Amino acid sequence: MRYPTSMVMAVALLMPGVNAGSQTQRRVVRVSAERFAFTPSRIVVDAGEEIEMRVSSDDTAHGFRIAGTSVNVVIPKRGRGEVSVSFRAPEPGRYVFECTRMCGAGHHFMRGELLVRDPSASQSRK
Amino acid sequence: MKFDGSIYLAGFLLLASTQAVAQTPPGDAVPTTGPISGYMDFHFNKGEAEDGVLDFHRFVLIVSHSFSPRIQFVAELELEHAFVEGLEERGEVELEQAYVDFLVTRPFNVRAGMLLVPMGIINERHEPPSFQGVERPFVDTFIIPTTWFENGAGVFGEVGRGFRYRAYVMAPLNALEFSADEGIRNGRQKGSRSVVRNVAYAGRVEHIGVPGLLLGASAWSGNSSFLAPRLDVQVSVGEADVQYKRNRLQLRGEFAQVWIGDAARLNLTISQLTGVSPNIARTLRGFYAEGAYRVWQGGAGRDVVGFARYENYDTQFRMPSGYIPLKQFDRDAWIAGATYYPDPDIAVKVDYIWQRNQSAVVTAPNSFNVGIGWWF
Repeated sequence: MRYPTSMVMAVALLMPGVNAGSQTQRRVVRVSAERFAFTPSRIVVDAGEEIEMRVSSDDTAHGFRIAGTSVNVVIPKRGRGEVSVSFRAPEPGRYVFECTRMCGAGHHFMRGELLVRDPSASQSRK
Repeated sequence: MKFDGSIYLAGFLLLASTQAVAQTPPGDAVPTTGPISGYMDFHFNKGEAEDGVLDFHRFVLIVSHSFSPRIQFVAELELEHAFVEGLEERGEVELEQAYVDFLVTRPFNVRAGMLLVPMGIINERHEPPSFQGVERPFVDTFIIPTTWFENGAGVFGEVGRGFRYRAYVMAPLNALEFSADEGIRNGRQKGSRSVVRNVAYAGRVEHIGVPGLLLGASAWSGNSSFLAPRLDVQVSVGEADVQYKRNRLQLRGEFAQVWIGDAARLNLTISQLTGVSPNIARTLRGFYAEGAYRVWQGGAGRDVVGFARYENYDTQFRMPSGYIPLKQFDRDAWIAGATYYPDPDIAVKVDYIWQRNQSAVVTAPNSFNVGIGWWF
């Protein structure tokens, strides 16, 4: 590629005191943004899990915010790299993620859901 | 085909604009956009044996406002053909969208106001960088009357892994404005004091759960004879589409069909009112397939995409008893061209259209088209 990938590292620590260099294995989740949808639009993780989201756009610049957390970044336009957000999954629950940058008439429809499960409950189901 | 001097003017304008954009350093800075968004569409069209036309086809501003995180407003105001004068058939000013969303839960939300009919690939996504070709596909013009907007209300949401839906109750079409060549297109009430003696139902489901693949199906149904209540013109539109992207390849396909009930009596009624038989069909049908390939990637979102599309569209597909189809409206077309993206939001387009019809008398003109469109 002619221009170096403009990787933007935005580390959002959702839980105070979390060490970014934790020994815990980090799970990488790739998300693609395109007017007016995120793919995947539903992401399931376990509470406390170390997550790295790598978000890229297939068209214009979008925003990416997970409501109820401190994750709030800008996704560069297509061909200009991706944004990476590392965090520890918060308390179990449903968290909406959405585009925060006005990107057209379907902007408000550009949303997804981060479903955070209780890992102990997941184990008991198994 | 013989071209006049206007084609050089069009070429010069587009080249100049392209170079101006390309000279901008492709930095990583993200442009700021306020609550206003929009798109524009500027064309040069040269039909065979016709004068070339430069047209600022669309100037659209989109505004939005969040009353709260759960109550949001979007509006799209469009000026077509740059100039509007009273009592003259030139440009149009249209309020294509103006609605309030009440965001309740992921699977269930409510929307009301002026809505785009959720129908097909283009009607809800008609911004120039989002499709190939200077003009919108014929199927999305003559079979699905894009841009199709109307007053209404409904629900929308997403369930499971990537199943999205929209379901609206809307004002119906006005069947007395249907025609042989443009089908149901002129029947749109466009939200201007729309008569709702009857209502129409519109819905669309999409699956976006597989990366790169979008599957969609749409339906619309409504009694459209409110100005001639003795008729029973039940109109239905059905549509299915697929879009697939993988690496440099993009594929699209769409099939749409329209059924018009009581078409024989509708023709008779319009004949009595106007003195001319409109020769409205009882079934209209169209489909297209398109392949596009990113032939050049210049980095920082600068690309060239080549494409070819085949379209078949017939607004006289099935006629009511006693009516003969006008074969010049049984048409097909090949469209081939390229799109240069100096930026992912700007599309500089060129294409050539080979049109045919089934008439032995009336010819379908080929055309050469150049356009620039942008979206922010």
